[in-house]
Amino acid sequence: MIEVSEGFGDGGDAPGLRPASSAGKAGERAGTRVLVVDDDPSILDTVTSILTSEGFQVMAASGGKQALSLLHSWHPTLVLLDMRMPIMDGWAVARAMQESGSKVPIIVMTAAESAKRWADEIGAAGHLAKPFALDELLECVEEHSGPRRTN
Amino acid sequence: MTALELITLLSQAIYVVIFLAVGYRYLRARTPAHLDMTVFFGILAFVVVESRIATAAGIVPPEWFTDSVIAAVIALPYILLRLVDDFTVVPRSIKRGAEVLLIAAVAAVYVLQGPTLPPVYVFLIVGYIAGLSFYCGFRFFRSAIRAKGVTRRRMQAISLGTALFALDILAAGIGGQMSDPWKTILAAVGQVLGLAAAISWFLGFAPPPILRRAWQAPELRQFLARAANLPRLPSTRDIVRELERGAAAATGSDARIGVWDEDILKIRFWPPTGEPVDVEPGRYFSGRAFKQQKTLLSAQPMRDDPQGADAYRAAKVGAIIATPITAGEKRLGVLVLYAERPPIFAVSDSELSQLLADQAAVVLESRALIDHAARVRAREEAARLKEDFLSAAAHDLKTPLTTVVAQAQFLERKATRDPSAPSDLAGLQRIVREAQRLSALVTDLLDAARMEQGRLVADREPMDLGTLVSSVATRQRPGAHRVDVDVRGAVVGNYDGRRIEQLLENLIENASKYSPEATPVNVNVWQQDGEARITVQDQGIGIPAADLPRIFERFSRASNVDDRKFHGMGLGLYICRGIVEEHGGRIWAESEIGKGSTFHVALPLGEERRLN
Repeated sequence: MIEVSEGFGDGGDAPGLRPASSAGKAGERAGTRVLVVDDDPSILDTVTSILTSEGFQVMAASGGKQALSLLHSWHPTLVLLDMRMPIMDGWAVARAMQESGSKVPIIVMTAAESAKRWADEIGAAGHLAKPFALDELLECVEEHSGPRRTN
Repeated sequence: MTALELITLLSQAIYVVIFLAVGYRYLRARTPAHLDMTVFFGILAFVVVESRIATAAGIVPPEWFTDSVIAAVIALPYILLRLVDDFTVVPRSIKRGAEVLLIAAVAAVYVLQGPTLPPVYVFLIVGYIAGLSFYCGFRFFRSAIRAKGVTRRRMQAISLGTALFALDILAAGIGGQMSDPWKTILAAVGQVLGLAAAISWFLGFAPPPILRRAWQAPELRQFLARAANLPRLPSTRDIVRELERGAAAATGSDARIGVWDEDILKIRFWPPTGEPVDVEPGRYFSGRAFKQQKTLLSAQPMRDDPQGADAYRAAKVGAIIATPITAGEKRLGVLVLYAERPPIFAVSDSELSQLLADQAAVVLESRALIDHAARVRAREEAARLKEDFLSAAAHDLKTPLTTVVAQAQFLERKATRDPSAPSDLAGLQRIVREAQRLSALVTDLLDAARMEQGRLVADREPMDLGTLVSSVATRQRPGAHRVDVDVRGAVVGNYDGRRIEQLLENLIENASKYSPEATPVNVNVWQQDGEARITVQDQGIGIPAADLPRIFERFSRASNVDDRKFHGMGLGLYICRGIVEEHGGRIWAESEIGKGSTFHVALPLGEERRLN
């Protein structure tokens, strides 16, 4: 709460959504392109709007196919991936990414018990067990964001 | 020697052989039927041997002796009638009538001096003998029709033999009153008929084992051929019914199979109609054969087992063989073969019964295996369905919660950062709090459901408990409690890190929740007596001694907890117990009201640690 008032001084004319810490961090966030993949529209909207408001560049994909095409056209730096999806699931997306030589880190988002195991299975960078709190989401995305860009 | 003489010799020899065979059988099993057979063939054998000796030695026996021999011969059909009565029931009136006529005929022989009887008496006596014999032959024929398998064939042979005997008597009786050439012709015919009767009787009354087996073979083969397919029948009851049918056909008797029921500790029989009948081991022949694990044979069950006499009478059990059905060490049931009349069974039938019981054992055992496999499949299916339901429920409950929690928190955050924005911060905070609470409850409920399947703990990895506990304990958490951690040395084991974290979070949260602000919560980690030990100690309100034993049970909360102040379903410690126990550890608590509680956890160490 104290951070916010500090942020006012720092952020100048745009008070509010930018986190307080530093302009450098904001810049880092702007350079992070997060692709959110989930077949549940509410989660997709929520996560997308949160991350957008937090200063990340975000695109949403409601299925595996769409995710792969965005991966090739938009070049995200991080993928938040739901595992259980109809038609093309998280494993298939991860496999297709691996086959195309993509090194974009993946964070597994799932309501299943086996979040960690599934993350290990597909060689993901991290996992978020649903239902996750806002802080967990932001910390996790923060941890895997940065200037590192994929080729 | 003429052909006729040869025939006479042969038939006479056969009578002697049958006498010896049935006499031996009577000595082994003293049944009325065996006695009657022995007497019947004893008379025939005596007559032929006596006449041979007399002829050879040139002795003319005294008249009283000859009369007695003739009287004995006249008695033959009456003994036949008794034999019929042994196999089936002869009406009383016929028995009494035959007895009266017998006495009259014998009296006539003695009074009128046998060898020189007037023809009219001879005809009367011959008529009596032949008539009664025909009647007996007819009765044997009738029981042959009703009988099955080997018994049927034996009865057929006996009825044929009896009819031939009657014809023989007729031919001899009539021929004796005639002059040549009829006398000689009829004498020859009589001899041939006598030989044929002797052979038939021999086959019927004392069949050699080889013939017996041959007669049993077709039904037995049929039984064995069908047995192979029996285990696939829809129910054990159907199988038992088929086995009974097969055993009855193969033995020519009635057959019942009782199946051992481990639930009620009784042998269960299914009569063709009505309710099943349960027999205790040791009761009746069936229960005794089962208990003693050996074949029991009785030709007089009512006398040999008086306690069961009423039941035997009701079921018309006049002779019985009970054989245990056993596969290896496993007692499956008992095969009971029974007949209304005793002479159906020879001792060799018990061997046949054993063979049938062995076959039944194979069938029933296969059936038991099939049943067992089906039960296992059903159990697995049920577990899978539950698991499917659980993951579906988990997914469907958690997905909307994710949105609610994250969205509410996000709104809350926006509102805190921009107090000027039009929003109800207090309202948003309520939504956040309640959404988080809902989320925790759902997680707890799903964990509790998972725990019932023993699937709470998933992937275990080697890790240092001290490091894990420190990181959890020093986490920021609401409230003004200080958590002091004391880790003594490395405590390494295989644990599900996520679940151990959950365990500690729960214990620390409990400790903070029920103790005054500003009091510390102490967490200790060390190893002792080959175990990893953790304690979480507070200086809180404590737990009443009466509640201590059940605080780890489902939905249990201590009685001094104010429900209005502390929310919760009472699943926390239950899940803690599940986590610890699935790791192979123990959890317990000590407490003193007003002073505080200490929760103890003991977990197994990693292998190499324990060896040190």
